Amino acid sequence: MQVPKPFKSFSVGFMLFWAFLAAFPFFWMFLISFRAPIDAFSLPPKLFAPFTFDHFYTVWVVDGFWQQALNTTIVTVGTMTVSLTIGCLAGYALSRYRGSLGFWLLIGALVFRAMPHVVMLVAYKPAFWSMGIWNRYETLIIVLVAINQPFTIWMLRSFFVNIPEELDQAALVDGCNRIQTFIKVIMPVMWPGVITTGLFSFLLAYNDFLISSQLMSGDHMTMTAALSNYIFADDDLTKLMHGIAGAVSVTIPLIFLVMFFQRYIVSGLTHGAVKG
Amino acid sequence: MRLKTFLAFVSPSVFAMILLIAVPLIGVMYLSVHNSYIKTEIVEITSTVPTFAGMKQTKVEKVPQPVLDEDGNPIKVSEYVGTQNFESVADPAGLREAIIKDRSVGPDGTPASFGQRVHGYYRDVVDIDFWGALEFTLIYAFITTPCVLILGFLVALAVNSVAQWMRGPLIFTSLLPFIITPVVGSLSIYWLFLDNAVVAALLEQMFDTKVYFLKDAFTIRSLIILYGVWHVTPFAFVILYAGMQTVPVDALQAAMVDGANFRQRIWYIIIPHLAPLFVFITMIHVMDAYRIFEPILVFGSNLFANSLQYLTYYILNFEDNYHKAAASAILTVIGIVVLLIPFLRRTYREQKGV
Repeated sequence: MQVPKPFKSFSVGFMLFWAFLAAFPFFWMFLISFRAPIDAFSLPPKLFAPFTFDHFYTVWVVDGFWQQALNTTIVTVGTMTVSLTIGCLAGYALSRYRGSLGFWLLIGALVFRAMPHVVMLVAYKPAFWSMGIWNRYETLIIVLVAINQPFTIWMLRSFFVNIPEELDQAALVDGCNRIQTFIKVIMPVMWPGVITTGLFSFLLAYNDFLISSQLMSGDHMTMTAALSNYIFADDDLTKLMHGIAGAVSVTIPLIFLVMFFQRYIVSGLTHGAVKG
Repeated sequence: MRLKTFLAFVSPSVFAMILLIAVPLIGVMYLSVHNSYIKTEIVEITSTVPTFAGMKQTKVEKVPQPVLDEDGNPIKVSEYVGTQNFESVADPAGLREAIIKDRSVGPDGTPASFGQRVHGYYRDVVDIDFWGALEFTLIYAFITTPCVLILGFLVALAVNSVAQWMRGPLIFTSLLPFIITPVVGSLSIYWLFLDNAVVAALLEQMFDTKVYFLKDAFTIRSLIILYGVWHVTPFAFVILYAGMQTVPVDALQAAMVDGANFRQRIWYIIIPHLAPLFVFITMIHVMDAYRIFEPILVFGSNLFANSLQYLTYYILNFEDNYHKAAASAILTVIGIVVLLIPFLRRTYREQKGV
């Protein structure tokens, strides 16, 4: 699109301003995480100060944050795998089925998507406690999968709608059944949509605080939930610095993730969700 | 696709949603109309206490004790209590009192103006925990939604009109507030505004007064709303930016041939093309805004700015009352369903039309 000159320069200025707002809180958090507490909250604030790895050392080595990082990895990978597997099957079927049952399923999923998570938590707590499946990876994974499903099936459906049905027809005529069709014909072409949806599943599982912090405790806590140990530590400046180092540690994998998969987010949304 | 195949394909996904979303919802409904307690009985305990000079006194006390079942566990009793839990959450009696209270006289003894009376009603109603939480949840949702849409659109338009090589880094930076863990995002903002932290310190230097962001209802509410706009704008931006890539080039060229200027092209071609996306973003954001939780927790703001989800969380964890928490949860669900009705109707018409 042709854009007038004044708007172009306005755009550059506006974007610099917005980029500053978007990045500054994280930039500052990174900066002070490598400082002694006295420099981190000095008056007036300093841009340059001596550099230290102490807080990261304490959090990762002394406090054992690596265990929580491992837990997060297990939960996130587990959630993504299960969620995408069952989501792809459902999304594919929803895109090919013509009856009204599919429509009602989508509407139901939309209502489920809107449920505040604490509502389910009220039921999970007594139920999981009495069943003795509290504080287990499988429990958290399956809960996150279920909460993630409404979004996953809506998004995957809109990707599958864009895969021409002639492909299925050809395979069916050649004697494949539905599951063979799905494996041999649809799977090879579905990856862009799956990667985009997978990114969002990843973010949901990785970023979840409320459910993870309530269902897991002790050695099973995820990284995000473990941050709550540091949240209310304003009085103790050293502990606050550990919280900052922990928060930075949680952020770093996300930054790499967006760096590598950024084009999938935009192109995936352009070709799939936005059109469908 | 035949019905049977369809059912086979969707069954794992549907099973997960029914088992872990629908069944818990029913469970919460059950919990909300019941109360449970540990069954106790009055037991007479006779104890002999030595007094002095070898004399003994026998005391008989009546003590409540839990009734045990054959395994030695206390027996829990659950009883139907109707709307009792809902009343303890929504406090209709307090609400009635706030409404019928005589407000004709102001604090200084003169007759109160209309404005003062309305303010009085309002203050007394939001003083009740539940209505206060509902108030801020709705304020948050209704203020952030338009801000997010406008700002997201402007960012998308700006990214779309800068040179190609700048777009990658700009999209990356713009996405940060959205993809980074909400708890971490809230903390990073919180740490900027702590007393003695960088923003507070700079403002104090500029205006030469003390600033306490986190001790005042207005500033803390503004801060949470700003956090919300900051956190969700990237989502609106990325959806709208993706939508802008699909604006038909022919229509834009035709408009230019017809002499439409830049503003007219935005107003008559781009915005109508993006209209369904605006609705989509609004719907998703209303759902998410309604369950705002992390900033309330991190800012510790529940005295000044509470949310429904935080209220339920609080009842569940600190009052440790499943039944009251369930009632609060059900009221929360009713609220979101009411808010969703227009969107559901629209989706219904849209999908039926296709």
